[in-house]
Amino acid sequence: MRTAAPHVGAGHAPAPTARSSWPVELDRVCVTYPNGTRALRDVSLRVEPGEMVAVVGLSGSGKSTLIRTVNGLVPATSGTVRVGPHQVTALRGRALREVRGHVGMIFQGFNLAERVDVLHNVLVGRFAHTPAWRSLLGRPSAADRELALRALDSVGMLEKVWTRAGSLSGGQKQRVAIARALTQEPGVMLADEPVASLDPPTAHAVMADLRRINAEQGLTVVVNIHLMDLARQYTTRMIGLRAGEVVYDGPAPDATDADFEQIYGRPVQPRDVLGAGA
Amino acid sequence: MTAVDLAGRVPARPRHVVRTALAVAGLVAFTVATCLPAIGGVELDLGSIARYWRNGADKLAELAQPNLAFAPRTVAPMLETLQMALVGAAVAALLSVPLTLWAARATNPSTPARVAVRTVVNVVRAVPDLVYATVLVAMVGVGALPGVLTLVLFDVGIVVKLVSEAIDSSDHGYMEAGRAAGGTQTQINRVTALPQVAPLFANQWLYVLELNVRISAILGIVGAGGIGRLLDERRAFYAYGDVSVVILEILVVVVVIEVLSNLLRRRLV
Repeated sequence: MRTAAPHVGAGHAPAPTARSSWPVELDRVCVTYPNGTRALRDVSLRVEPGEMVAVVGLSGSGKSTLIRTVNGLVPATSGTVRVGPHQVTALRGRALREVRGHVGMIFQGFNLAERVDVLHNVLVGRFAHTPAWRSLLGRPSAADRELALRALDSVGMLEKVWTRAGSLSGGQKQRVAIARALTQEPGVMLADEPVASLDPPTAHAVMADLRRINAEQGLTVVVNIHLMDLARQYTTRMIGLRAGEVVYDGPAPDATDADFEQIYGRPVQPRDVLGAGA
Repeated sequence: MTAVDLAGRVPARPRHVVRTALAVAGLVAFTVATCLPAIGGVELDLGSIARYWRNGADKLAELAQPNLAFAPRTVAPMLETLQMALVGAAVAALLSVPLTLWAARATNPSTPARVAVRTVVNVVRAVPDLVYATVLVAMVGVGALPGVLTLVLFDVGIVVKLVSEAIDSSDHGYMEAGRAAGGTQTQINRVTALPQVAPLFANQWLYVLELNVRISAILGIVGAGGIGRLLDERRAFYAYGDVSVVILEILVVVVVIEVLSNLLRRRLV
């Protein structure tokens, strides 16, 4: 890591503002994979615009599947998913890509193109809003470039704009990934285990980033997480998943250890908390 | 360090003596069987080496004495060969980019389209280069053009096959991000996949450049230009001293290209 415990955003420009924050609504969603695994069983929930929700569960509980049904990366086998004004489960092809263009997502493994510079990684966030010929010629519009640079500035990564993504530290990569998602001007931000590959201080910094984006812009944030203390500290509401079913839905800060034991289906262990970092 | 007694606690190393022995025996038996004419194997009469080796010995002796006075006459054909190799590799490089991205699963999720491209490329690869050269000489006339066209076809086959396989065996997490942002496969390929796989391409482009120099020595035999024409001509006159000079020159050029491409590769990756 190059910077110890990066405190992001302080003194930087605010992130590009979303046009509006969207609700997310799942109605009796089931997902069964081709190999027969039933990843989600009859999941119904509603996330209000501007909420910051943690989806908690052990690995294999269906968290990743749940978050991927929201932008259609994993199609629901049955049931309906609504995001803002769109019914994702009814869309395919171009219409689905357009909705995805308004749903930001960050990943455990950052999913950056390592040999590509930071700016062009962030411009990936403009794909759905960019005509094909512009992408083919590699000529982003001035407006898209401006959005990308503002997003980078808001996560404190503007000076790295020409650095190859592969030579950044883990925390810096995740912040570039956040900038990529913000460049979409999203109505919802999805985060799939965003800090599982980071050391504790960096993990806290990235979670603080997400909370700041949620607070400053009122952007809906759904974050998958398996650590109790991060869920309690950074989110307001917690949805517990076990074996593809919602087993808990309530306020996050005062969720008790007993609540977590109910979600995990086993006693709480030391590895269920990250511990103080920053 | 505290000495911990490991004796008796280390698990026995798993051994597969019987399996290995069977595999080796099977391989040997199969190889021997392919040399038994009685059951349809190839006929290898080792005695003929003893009977005829002298016939070739004089040629080898002449080859060992390169006629350096012949060297000036090889300069122009050698330059033509280098030009053919370079042009062929460059055109093949351009063609190989879209074809490779179509042929790899990671960059082209559509199975029918991928199978179609792979089939065409496999057919192109199945035809021997001398056949291309012979047919093209008949179609476009003697000279460098049929040679270059042959090299292009040959190179495209190699690059598309090797690079598309390398693409499929590497990790592409950034593609999920591109899809999540609403990108089309074309956008993802152009903006992220292409820079990611550029070193894989560069490696094979440099390799086919080197191959081209060696191949064009053969293509001249059927009239497709370059140093090969001279080589064939001198061989027909039994001027093995001249042939030897040409072979040495090809060796030098191939080694020089290899050294240069190694230098380039180190800078590219």
